[in-house]
Amino acid sequence: MPELRPSAAPLRFWADRPLAIKGLVFIAIPLAILFAALASLYLSSTAEERAEADVRRAFAIQRDTYQVHALLSQAAAGVRGYALTGEDRFLEPYSVAERELAPTIQRLDEAIEDPGVRNEYATLTNLVDAKRQGLGEIVRVSRGGEDPASSRAVLEAELSASRDVLERLGSQVDVIQRREAVLLDQRRARVDEVRSRFLLLTAISALLGLLGSIAAVYLFSTGIVRRVRVLEGNAERLAKGERLDELPDEADEIGRLAQRLGRASALLRAREKELSESEERFRLVVDRVRDYGIFALDTEGRVATWNLGAERIKGWQASEILGRHFSSFYPPETRDFLPQQIIDRAIHDGSAEDEGWRVRRDGTRFWANVVITALRDGKGTLRGFAKVTRDMSERRRTEEELRTAQDEAIAASRAKTALLSRTSHELRTPMNAILGFGQLLEIDEENFAPHHRSAVTQIMKAGRHLLSLINDLLDISSIEAGVSELAIESFDLHELLAEVHSIGLPLVKQSGLAFSLDLPEREVVVSADKRRALQVVLNLIGNSAKYNRTGKAVRLSSRIEKHMAIVEVEDDGPGIDPPDVPRLFTAFDRLGEQNRSATEGTGLGLALSRSLVESMKGKIGYEPASTGPGRLGARFWFSLPLAVDATTPTSTLTPIEVPEE
Amino acid sequence: MTAQLVAPADITSRRILAIDDEVANILLLRSVLEREGYTDIHCLTDPTKAMRAYIDLEPDIVLLDLMMPEVDGFELLEAFSRHDRPAEFRPVLVLTADTTLQARRRALSLGAKDFVAKPFDVIEVGLRIANLLETRVLYQRLNSS
Repeated sequence: MPELRPSAAPLRFWADRPLAIKGLVFIAIPLAILFAALASLYLSSTAEERAEADVRRAFAIQRDTYQVHALLSQAAAGVRGYALTGEDRFLEPYSVAERELAPTIQRLDEAIEDPGVRNEYATLTNLVDAKRQGLGEIVRVSRGGEDPASSRAVLEAELSASRDVLERLGSQVDVIQRREAVLLDQRRARVDEVRSRFLLLTAISALLGLLGSIAAVYLFSTGIVRRVRVLEGNAERLAKGERLDELPDEADEIGRLAQRLGRASALLRAREKELSESEERFRLVVDRVRDYGIFALDTEGRVATWNLGAERIKGWQASEILGRHFSSFYPPETRDFLPQQIIDRAIHDGSAEDEGWRVRRDGTRFWANVVITALRDGKGTLRGFAKVTRDMSERRRTEEELRTAQDEAIAASRAKTALLSRTSHELRTPMNAILGFGQLLEIDEENFAPHHRSAVTQIMKAGRHLLSLINDLLDISSIEAGVSELAIESFDLHELLAEVHSIGLPLVKQSGLAFSLDLPEREVVVSADKRRALQVVLNLIGNSAKYNRTGKAVRLSSRIEKHMAIVEVEDDGPGIDPPDVPRLFTAFDRLGEQNRSATEGTGLGLALSRSLVESMKGKIGYEPASTGPGRLGARFWFSLPLAVDATTPTSTLTPIEVPEE
Repeated sequence: MTAQLVAPADITSRRILAIDDEVANILLLRSVLEREGYTDIHCLTDPTKAMRAYIDLEPDIVLLDLMMPEVDGFELLEAFSRHDRPAEFRPVLVLTADTTLQARRRALSLGAKDFVAKPFDVIEVGLRIANLLETRVLYQRLNSS
């Protein structure tokens, strides 16, 4: 509808007017034309009436002038007869004329408007007056009876004069008559003209009325009807979701309606676009998902959609599988009942999950996890099913492998424990006899000769050394095999160190050294195995006491560093030669072999300490200590984790909620 | 210290059954016990005969090794507690070279009254045996009165 784009300013102005104004204009145009026509008709008809009155008046003037002439003629004839005969009956016309003339003259005086005629009329009235005088003189003379001779002469003269006047009167009447006749012709012509003009005016009025109506209808049509039709069409398109015809944004109600419709359409289109984009995205996502077979079934269980994942897992192309019943995915032994069972469950519970064997297109099997969800519309009517299938073969295999690995690990752990028990037993059993009998001999040593006594002492010394060696070895082995059970608890480290100090004090003093304990004020709660921690500290103290031959003191202290409690054992002895430091914590690597006879030890102490500390999630280390100018010493340290909270377990596992399907 | 409650003779006269597959250990135990003055000592190196001996001898205390061929100490502990009357205190002292925590726990949970790791201190073993026997004597007195 391109003609509906009023680009011209007036049309635009018109379109912008409100509908009420437009309606008023539609009604006003024909009405105004009608009124104009009526007015012109009225004016025409009055003009005609006036013209006709003029004509009538012309006729009246003619008639009255004749009447004047006729009355005077008859009066003259009568007077003449009276003069001749003296009989009164001849005076009858004269008296009629005397009676009638005045009103007739009066009428003429009123009727005559034309100035030319009025001149003639003045002449006429003079003549009429002269005539009447003449006639009156005759009558008076005739009636007098004075001197018949003189009266005769006067009479004769009067009669002749009267006759003269009458003739002039007659000719004057003719003049007026002719003049009036001319005027009459003129007036008739004017009446005719007015009449024809009136006809023309009527015709023009009718035409204008028609045109006005057409204009009104046109305006109504362009201003309202057609636009409403376009709107109607647009509304229909909106309902169908098609693009709307564009309408200029006029300011009246229809224009506004059109704009709103346009906005509604734009909004709808935007939403539709958004929806379709989101649908497209969703479809792409579903299509592109490779690890899950996602597809829809119709209410009968036939495949309705198919995605890449389904194709990959099941081996069917979309074109091959669409429309087939989903029982094709089941192995023969379950095909007859399981699909229906699952469908029934999904219908009943909303969704159903199943795990079991399914078959691919090529007949191979895979272990699948399947979730079927019933799809219902807003009214609750079943529309089909959504099916999500996962190939769990890999996971199942992994789970089985994991289970096997776990079983193997448990078996290995059991075997290790059994071996350690066995070894412990086998090594300790002979030691029991050796040390037991040795002890009995020691108890009775006063019965022996001195060299036997010394032999018993050596046997016991070697035996005890061997036992501690065995114990340390078994300890390290069990820690490293992971079968040693730690009794991890939260306890105050300072309490433990104080205990170590009191236990170790005699030993350290025996070596001629001072033993100091240096602890911060507040308690330090660590999370560790108390017995093992004690073992480590005692071992370090023992080392310091044993190897510090030149110094004077051993110092035990603790501090906190980065969530760890650090225990330090420091002495002012010779320290460790730097090249030896890396081997400090290695089993059987006793340093200073030359001093072997002087110091006793298994060579396993630091290795065992390291195993113990590490099993408690701590660290152990060594660094040279500078205890004064030019004096070096050894500083061994180890760390233990601080208890996160002395009153609660160190770790809290929150079970993860797995939603049930 | 035991003298106040139980006379030493009342303890040393009690019957002791020692079960260990290792001859050296049996000899050591016998030496320790004889040194302490015990008179009624029975020793076994064949654990398969242990149950028979337990029933026949009705010992007041059993000194039991855990790791033995054919029938181990755990099985014997179970068998002993099945055989004993409910309200009877007949202590078993486990003497074993297996010092693992598992072994200790298992033995004690199966009814062993005490646990000493080998190699043991001979004096400590003597004291523990005496303590257990004293408890038994007192228990018996309590029951008979």
